[in-house]
Amino acid sequence: MQQMKRLLVVYVALQALFALSWCFSDAEPGPAAGSQSNGDRFKIEGRAIVPGVKTQDWISTARILVEGEEYVGFLKTDGSFAVNDVPSGSYVVEIVSPSFRFDPVRVDITSKGKMRARLVNYIKTSEVIRQPYPLQIRSSGPHTYFMKRETWGWTDFLMNPMVMMMVLPLLIIVLLPKVVNTNDPEMRKEMEQSMNMLNPNPELPDVSEFMTKLFSKGSSKSSGGNKGSRSVAPKRSDTMCTSRPAQGGDVDPNSVSYTYLK
Amino acid sequence: MAWLVVRLAISVSLLYTASAVFEDQVGKFDWRQQFIGKVRFALFDTHSQASKKLLVATDKNVFASLNSRTGDLFWRHVDKIGPEGHIDALLMYGQDAVVVTGNGRLLRSWETTVGGLKWETVLDTGSFQAAALVGVQDFVKYVAVLKKSAISLHDLSSGSQIWVENLPDSDTVQYQTIYSGGNGLVFVFGVVPNSHIVIVEYKIEDGEIMRKKSVEAAWMSSLESSCTVISSGILLCVDQITQSLYTLQLQSAEQTEIRQIHLQTLDLEVASGFQPVLTSTQPNPAQPPLSEFFLQLSPDHHILLQLKDGLIAPLRDFNPSYLAAFATSGERTVAAVMSPKNDTACSINLFSADTGRRHLDTTIIYHMDPNGGKPNRLYVHAFLKKDDSVGYRVMVQTEDLTLTFLQQPGRVVWVREEALADVVTMEMVDLPFTGTQAELEGEFGKKAAIQDGLLPMVLKRLSSQFILLQAWLAHLWKLFYDARKPRSSVKNEVTIDTLSRDEFNLQKMMVMVTASGKLFGIDSKSGTILWKQYLENIQPDSVFKLIVQRTTAHFPHPPQCTLLIKNKDTGLGNLYVFNPIFGKKSQISVPALPRPVLQTLLLPVIDQDYAKVLLLIDDQYKVTAFPSTKNVLQQLQDTASSIFFYLVDSSQGKLSGFRLRKDLSTELIWEVVIPTEVQKIVAIKGKRANEHVHSQGRVMGDRSVLYKYLNPNLLAVITESTDTHQERSFVGIFLIDGVTGRIVHEAVQRKARGPVHFVHSENWMVYVYWNSKFRRNEFSVLELFEGAELYNSTVFSSLDRPHPPQVLQQSYIFPAPISTLEATLTEKGITSRHLLVGLPSGNILSLPKMFLDPRRPEVVSEQSREENLIPYAPEMPIREEWFINYNQTVSRIRGIHTAPSGLESTCLVVAYGLDIYQTRVFPSKQFDVLKDDYDYVLISSVLFGLFFATMISKRLAEVKLLNRAWR
Repeated sequence: MQQMKRLLVVYVALQALFALSWCFSDAEPGPAAGSQSNGDRFKIEGRAIVPGVKTQDWISTARILVEGEEYVGFLKTDGSFAVNDVPSGSYVVEIVSPSFRFDPVRVDITSKGKMRARLVNYIKTSEVIRQPYPLQIRSSGPHTYFMKRETWGWTDFLMNPMVMMMVLPLLIIVLLPKVVNTNDPEMRKEMEQSMNMLNPNPELPDVSEFMTKLFSKGSSKSSGGNKGSRSVAPKRSDTMCTSRPAQGGDVDPNSVSYTYLK
Repeated sequence: MAWLVVRLAISVSLLYTASAVFEDQVGKFDWRQQFIGKVRFALFDTHSQASKKLLVATDKNVFASLNSRTGDLFWRHVDKIGPEGHIDALLMYGQDAVVVTGNGRLLRSWETTVGGLKWETVLDTGSFQAAALVGVQDFVKYVAVLKKSAISLHDLSSGSQIWVENLPDSDTVQYQTIYSGGNGLVFVFGVVPNSHIVIVEYKIEDGEIMRKKSVEAAWMSSLESSCTVISSGILLCVDQITQSLYTLQLQSAEQTEIRQIHLQTLDLEVASGFQPVLTSTQPNPAQPPLSEFFLQLSPDHHILLQLKDGLIAPLRDFNPSYLAAFATSGERTVAAVMSPKNDTACSINLFSADTGRRHLDTTIIYHMDPNGGKPNRLYVHAFLKKDDSVGYRVMVQTEDLTLTFLQQPGRVVWVREEALADVVTMEMVDLPFTGTQAELEGEFGKKAAIQDGLLPMVLKRLSSQFILLQAWLAHLWKLFYDARKPRSSVKNEVTIDTLSRDEFNLQKMMVMVTASGKLFGIDSKSGTILWKQYLENIQPDSVFKLIVQRTTAHFPHPPQCTLLIKNKDTGLGNLYVFNPIFGKKSQISVPALPRPVLQTLLLPVIDQDYAKVLLLIDDQYKVTAFPSTKNVLQQLQDTASSIFFYLVDSSQGKLSGFRLRKDLSTELIWEVVIPTEVQKIVAIKGKRANEHVHSQGRVMGDRSVLYKYLNPNLLAVITESTDTHQERSFVGIFLIDGVTGRIVHEAVQRKARGPVHFVHSENWMVYVYWNSKFRRNEFSVLELFEGAELYNSTVFSSLDRPHPPQVLQQSYIFPAPISTLEATLTEKGITSRHLLVGLPSGNILSLPKMFLDPRRPEVVSEQSREENLIPYAPEMPIREEWFINYNQTVSRIRGIHTAPSGLESTCLVVAYGLDIYQTRVFPSKQFDVLKDDYDYVLISSVLFGLFFATMISKRLAEVKLLNRAWR
């Protein structure tokens, strides 16, 4: 954890350096936009691109909004646009379209009419990650307005772990006696041996025992089993219960999933 | 690591709160209607015969293309609000439309089939006067724009400026119109009022002044509408005072004398006080206009005149006639004239322009809406029929902004109610029960019934039960009948007669008040306009307040709405009382309001007819009650000591509270002065009267309760600093108790400015402001709590509150600009609240209030997790799934109205602006009804499966038992 923090600090410092270097580079005289200026009003230019869609299919419903509806521009038939009469300042330029999603861009205009575009960052407002100017705004695809319906299928039902847990033992209970002839004493002996092989340590809790303990919650009645396991089982179940919220809680703020277990 | 946890927590919580639209729900319970506003320019595309385009430019700065067959929008472009987006002129040539915007600031050419911009040019500053297409040798190549002091010529195909010239003596001469007849010259007309006319001739190629002349015209004050160019370059003017027409040859060099023709010689006379209007037509901008023109002599008198060989001769006199317009198709120009037929209808006829002869079988009957206004504009679309005769369609615009498109022989093709583009206020009113339900209710409601005795009561009950049975059978029959027909042919037409409340009260009547003074009753389920009422003589900038005095719950009393119409300047108001279901004006006598109304107050006190009492406070602090029956006055006297109201004077920064006295006078109780030198009051809001709060407090992580401070008298006052410098500007928030005047809380947001949008509800207030330091919008939430104990749990009294509330506040970044803000509202307030945020993009975001909770912890603890608090994150998420109106964007969204429905889970939402959008939202999902996607097939198949399984196993068990018994 400490190391991670240190790393983070280094990262932030690097970022700051990076941003600083950008600031310095900005100080250099860029391409002066004197030709575009009109008094002290300027023009924001750019182009919007929706890959794979013809411009005439979407431009009639799209608009360019600068800082809300403070300045409005429209798209030309080739997808380019210009917003006129914008005084110097810093603006968020956004292409709004009911069908396609475009990321907003912040455009800074100096009092001399020098322009630069950068990524919008509302948290670190002074951070500069340059974008091309004149703006090139590429759509990131159609809007996803709709939620997917939860569809129901047989496979979902069958692959549910609870169902699998229920169905498989059932199959074993029903099918095993048919496959194996339990009346044969030899076979029975063999089975008992194999069971012992599976459960070599008698100190370990019996699964069925554990389950009954868990669900009957301290009711003294318990099915027969070996005595060793009985002493261990409550301890185990306790730890199980307390550890659960700690595990899940990190992730899940909605306590609904575990409170009933307590 | 912490960040990761926060992110995860947010994403998990989203799963619980998302109230999104599913794709199959599109159009199921929502609808949108798009409007354009009052049409200022309308041009039919006459480029090709089959074209359906109708280009319109409106006073709402909207430029749109309508489908003239259906009235739907092909596309629409919404420009900036205010003078910068104002459309000054619309010209059309071929496929292109040229629009001058923003007082001649921008010249745009639109490709009309696609709806995209072809080119855009910025023009020099200067106030716009006129624009015209300029043709050379039968081809339109240029557009000329006339400004106050300059004229410029632009190429039509690229928008590039060919030349710009300053106008001579522009400081004394008012240049107003422009004319070009296709002969290589552009004429500019200017006037020095009551002195002379100036005519300047420009050469198209290089803008050289060819000739400049001034003509004596002492009678002339303005060129616009009183002057026009006809024939091959003859300026024609009309003057009311001298009762004369004047003609002037433009091209001849010698004659600079203006010719006067007395109207008396034509046996004509201009009605006194009426400014006569000349209308001519220039079918092709590259050719000179026709020599025929209309002269309007009085509001209902037009005359078609012709200039021939220097003489003016009347072709046809239209008396009476309301409107007249020219239209051209191919080579033929016609004139359409609307004249009154009887009290309710007008007839429109077509006349050939060159002879004045009437075309046979061209009458269109236009029925005037008795609840509407008079027609005031006529747009004609003429076309050539197969047999080479001229056919036509007309679009009529009325005073109440209804656009009606008519076809021969008087069939209404479509109607658009453009008044709805400017909805000011609205209410949602419950629908009444059906006739049968009402019958049953009426049995108990009528007073006479009780005196009837036992037997008639029984009979009445039996008969009403029988009627119910009948209605039910009829309903069943209709269901059966409709089921046999294919689905598409079943039309569920909503009419005023079939209106009835549905099971969950989801269908309501939307009563909308528009700025033009037209009232609408709209069915919320389908969006059908069920009634409309135009109130005449409404001042253009009146203030409206709509009050529901009696709901539909009090059968047999009809529901009652009252509209207070107030003149913005004088403050004088009057009341209009109507039935919100049928739109009929009520016969109840309304009190006269001789003095300006300052404040209205709807009391929970009801009169014997179950109407809530409305108090109107005038500028002398006298109170008028409506209704003011004896019963009401008595009740008011009894409760006067507990009736308080407040007044706001934002110009003096004064808030004052008053108490009602028994004699309906008032006494001043408190006064709060917010100095206007520093800040001004911009908005004030109480809580909504129909809001319910379900829980008194919040359960904390340690199982204790934090009680909410639920003060129904709390007012939220927003102020803005007068200093607008970004370092010193601030937004102030005052929470003031409306009864005692105590400032409960005060907050200042530094380096912030408006516009402030806010919602005040329950024990919280959410406001949005612009952070001018970081240039972003920020949300801030204030929540008020009483603490761990309630001071007085039975009743809230503002007068007895010794402990100030605990105030919690938290702010967040909202990564988008905001147009409007509202909160959802449900019947009992159990459902969690969402904020509905209208964005400039036209989307409505449904933001869970859970995200605006000042108790969101920065560090996650066991207790905060227990409480389901989302860890604090500075930036508010915006997810596209939360847009409740998916791609049905609402342009220029100005208000959102929320109303509870009969279902606790459902809130009805109406967003209005340029468009109207109605939908339902389920902030906590649909917990009280089965969901749309409820799987009936699965549940029934499982049930049947189980049923059969038990049957079979029972049978098997029987067989087994029997076998065992035999063994």
